[in-house]
Amino acid sequence: MPAVATIDSPTDEKVQEAFSAAEEHFGHVPNLVKALATNPDMCSSITHFVVQALQEGRVSWAFKELVILKTLRSVGAYYSYGAHEGLAAELGNSTDKIGDLNNSLWETSPHYSEAERAVMRLVTQIGIDANAVHDDIWNALREHWDNGQLLELTSLITTFINIGRVGDTLGVSEPKLFTRAV
Amino acid sequence: MAQLPYIEPADADPVTAQVYADAEARFEMVLNIFKITGNAPEIAEKMWQIFFDILQEGPKLDWYTKELLILKSTKMGDCLYCVTQHEVVSARLGVTEEKQADIVGVEYRRSEHYTPAEVAILDLCQHVVLNPEEIPSDVWAKVKEHYDDGQIVEIVTTIGAYLQVSKFGDALGVQLEEVWHGHAPVLFKHEPPTSKAAQHHLDHFMAQAPA
Repeated sequence: MPAVATIDSPTDEKVQEAFSAAEEHFGHVPNLVKALATNPDMCSSITHFVVQALQEGRVSWAFKELVILKTLRSVGAYYSYGAHEGLAAELGNSTDKIGDLNNSLWETSPHYSEAERAVMRLVTQIGIDANAVHDDIWNALREHWDNGQLLELTSLITTFINIGRVGDTLGVSEPKLFTRAV
Repeated sequence: MAQLPYIEPADADPVTAQVYADAEARFEMVLNIFKITGNAPEIAEKMWQIFFDILQEGPKLDWYTKELLILKSTKMGDCLYCVTQHEVVSARLGVTEEKQADIVGVEYRRSEHYTPAEVAILDLCQHVVLNPEEIPSDVWAKVKEHYDDGQIVEIVTTIGAYLQVSKFGDALGVQLEEVWHGHAPVLFKHEPPTSKAAQHHLDHFMAQAPA
């Protein structure tokens, strides 16, 4: 049971709009959105930000899901981990590739490209110490990704440090994020 | 040096230009952390709305209380950029230097400057940062003595958002703007960074001539 009340049928207009956006994007209103609903401003801005993150972007959604999974593992936050694992597979990642996110298997896994490994190094280092993401990590990233993609990837990693922490703290369970076809 | 270019207002696309205008209206300048998000305007627009919502007197929670959470959560991550700026912002809102100093470690628990309500949410903040999977029931009970659900959502999301933005800025090497040069961070004076890299950043910052 979440630490705060969840709202199923909001009366606040801002929350109603956030619920509509969530329903359109996810196919339903995720439990985290319902748990944020006692605070209309936070419910609205966080919902719209997460909707923007969880779709095709400058980086493919399939790879973004692997980045999210590695981020959640790296910081020990497991809100929606299972749902993202299912989503990663649904978007075309093989079970082996998802499994190789475990510890440092991705470093030698044949399922990961050098471009993807460079991102996993970024995820891992941010999890250890964001102050110590040194030039060697960025130089390797720049060989494969442009500035907009690197902004998106850094934003995604840090967003899911946030979302993982918030979901875990509020005690929200999210068995399935998307009930519509992705 | 930052790892991505700062997109200056003159070079910003219309979406980013609007974000910059909103930021300048709120914070008197376009900070470097905003400028770096100009590399992906569609992200900047949605991301900064969360912070615009937090950094104001809220219908649920006062800005002063949110600044305490911001100082605590970003200090725990050794974020020089956030701590420096929010020491100044929180001081403007009435947080004294003595109170700022007592936020480090668990000093706030025995400090005369903190109310029981503030102690309760700073204890929660430490758990959110360190281990949100194992928050003891007595920590929650004390928070719920003082705050309702809508306020708790704002407390937890403020902590989460500042974990996000502090790591975002630090990972990208976003630099403090010249206007902050000469400010000696109170929190780091009372509790040095635990990260060697953060200590290096602090030493470099302190060596800058005042603006």
